[in-house]
Amino acid sequence: MHFALPPRKTSNPPPYMPRSKRLHTLRRSRLKLIAITGLFFLTVIYLLTRGNGHPKLKKRMPTGNPPVVVVTVFDEAKYGKGYIDTIKENRIKYAEKHGYQTFFANIGDYDLKGAPGSWTKVVAMRHALTKYPECHFMWYLDQNAFVMNPQLKIEDHIMKMAKLTDLMKKDQPVVPPDSIIKTFSHLTGQDVDFVLTQDKEGLSVGSFIVRNGEWGEFFLDTWFDPIYRSYNFQKAEAHALEHIVQWHPTILARLAIIDQRLINSYSQGNKGDQYRDGDIAVRLVDCVTAGAQACETESQRFTQQWRTSFGKS
Amino acid sequence: MSLSRSPSPVPGGGWASPGLNINSGRSSPTRGYTGGTSSATPVMWESSRLKKAGGSGYPSFQTQGSGFLSKHMRKISSSLPRFNTSNSSPYAEKEKLGRGRWSAQNVPLLGRIRGLMGRMGRKMKIRLLLLFMLLFCIIIFYNTPLVYHWRRTSWLGGGQKFVIILAANIGGGVMEWKGAREWAIERDSVRNKKKYVARWGYDLEIVDMSTKKRYAHEWRESWEKVDFIRTALRKYPKAEWVWWLDLNTFIMEPSYSLQDHIFNNLHKHVYRDINEYNPLNITHPMTEEHLDPDSRSPVGDGNVNSVNLVLPQDCSGFNLGSFFVRRSPWTDRLLDIWWDPVAYEQKHMEWEHKEQDALEQLYTTQPWIRKHTGFLPQRMINSFPTGACNENGNDTRIHYDQKDRDFLVNMAGCEWGRDCWGEMYNFRELSYWLNRNPWELFKEEFVAVIWFKLTGQKVKL
Repeated sequence: MHFALPPRKTSNPPPYMPRSKRLHTLRRSRLKLIAITGLFFLTVIYLLTRGNGHPKLKKRMPTGNPPVVVVTVFDEAKYGKGYIDTIKENRIKYAEKHGYQTFFANIGDYDLKGAPGSWTKVVAMRHALTKYPECHFMWYLDQNAFVMNPQLKIEDHIMKMAKLTDLMKKDQPVVPPDSIIKTFSHLTGQDVDFVLTQDKEGLSVGSFIVRNGEWGEFFLDTWFDPIYRSYNFQKAEAHALEHIVQWHPTILARLAIIDQRLINSYSQGNKGDQYRDGDIAVRLVDCVTAGAQACETESQRFTQQWRTSFGKS
Repeated sequence: MSLSRSPSPVPGGGWASPGLNINSGRSSPTRGYTGGTSSATPVMWESSRLKKAGGSGYPSFQTQGSGFLSKHMRKISSSLPRFNTSNSSPYAEKEKLGRGRWSAQNVPLLGRIRGLMGRMGRKMKIRLLLLFMLLFCIIIFYNTPLVYHWRRTSWLGGGQKFVIILAANIGGGVMEWKGAREWAIERDSVRNKKKYVARWGYDLEIVDMSTKKRYAHEWRESWEKVDFIRTALRKYPKAEWVWWLDLNTFIMEPSYSLQDHIFNNLHKHVYRDINEYNPLNITHPMTEEHLDPDSRSPVGDGNVNSVNLVLPQDCSGFNLGSFFVRRSPWTDRLLDIWWDPVAYEQKHMEWEHKEQDALEQLYTTQPWIRKHTGFLPQRMINSFPTGACNENGNDTRIHYDQKDRDFLVNMAGCEWGRDCWGEMYNFRELSYWLNRNPWELFKEEFVAVIWFKLTGQKVKL
């Protein structure tokens, strides 16, 4: 179609777009290049950071509050209240001195499904772990025992890495004298989560130290397995321990046997190494078979001694 | 110098008509192929020369119809590449003008392609390039081992994080004679796993269960599992998960990778609270007050990364025909504790399923085991055929359903009065049928169906 006249121009023409400086420098081809490089880098970053499926679980590090928990299991049915209170006082005073905590349990507190009462120490240790999840170590010390030298701290005296490496006995038969299972010779203090001693009869469970951690839980759970409790080991939990230590290398590899007098001196020398002044603790072993009264009498000479040594410091 | 050339002005060609360039000073062709004799012969039309030489009284063509070859030979041969074979002349026969022979036929292939490219537009070129790239990529990815290595590397596919242990050579010996069926089962099962492993870049460890003889002195039959897992973890130091598979299993969907199917979303698939499906009626969670909060929680610490053992449950409890174990200190402990002489001595009479019962016992009594165990719905990794666990009829939690394309079938218990080989064969064929390629699908689902509708006959294509 043709019109006679060309159409009228609009009277307010659109203003020209100002020429953008930026657009000028970024030409289309360059933009393309930038986009491609960007994409490439994003791909590389994606591939590298895609994560390797399952990140390792962060190992929970306990803060060390309290550093050590002293665990003792009492037999209130058998022993007099005064005697037990003396022992509790001994533990509490020692714990207060270094900022430790104590954990006391009684035989009968836990349902052992018919197993001997001495099994209580294992479950009590597990309970202490639950109650003090931030502790570094738990020291189980038998009822008939006294801390004699309050100056010694567990974490310095025994559990210091470098020191423990020197203290631990390597290539030592687990059950003396002639067990073919021996402690590993390549371990250092870092590998150790469980420290105990031997007396003349074998592994002694009257005084031992367990480090807080996954392994500690595993070890205590395994030791407390109902299948061991129902097996009628002659010496209950002590023989169960000897059994698992000899049959399960994951436990043997975390264990250190140290000299008996470091944590487990005996009041008399016929069952093991005898107490000498300066040792951290003394255990009354012989009196247990004789009865509660014998222990209370024997304890008196040590009670004097630890009271003076606690008073001095 | 006899010259006979096609009349086209091909570079270096000269002229077809003799005499045109006889004294033209051009030097092409410089010499005759047959040496000096031909240069002495006088100039001659090629066709007449041929007639003279080969004719010997016979007509040069036949009018009588003869066989197929003589009829069509010319057509066929004219499309064949030409070589100069005549001994008397350096060049082919004289070309008749206007006969329509392509002059380009004498141009070398490269030149021809160059010409084609020259005539092609830029857009077309790019399209062609893309097509070639695509072809190249397809070849690289599907016809070379590249894709295998791609899937294996830890930061791309992660295939080397998985090891499959297949328990082979069960039975055998004097007591259970291994017949043709047993061999066939083993062959099919192994081939199935091998293919799967090759596809996804995993590792396959076929273990010989008959080595249990080695344990004869202390007789802990069927705990060899523990030792094999331990050995595999040592042998493949990069493996993170070990997948134990019994012999009577068949991977129905080889196109599922373990990463996609399970492990990328482990937290969605796995259930840690056994109350969700609890055929053994295990009291869960533990309530003893001496235990820590994680042990008393129904889901452990709730973090999926703490799951180290993933197993399915069937109608009667744990099933160790197909389960996963992850490399961890916890796993070392489990593998160490799993077999214990004191437990064995007390329980071996009632432990019908040996290591499976031992694990159930550990799970029931040991808090540290519970905290790190997760369960998978059975049909994710361990569907049963209808013959197993069928006391209560078909159970959607247990039995294979081809509509859902279950990943794996475990013909558990088929050696007790069922036909192992029959089941294996059926599932193998079903798996092939379900995973037909597009061409087979087209043939069987489209062409054959149409053919059936048209003629009423079933055909196998």
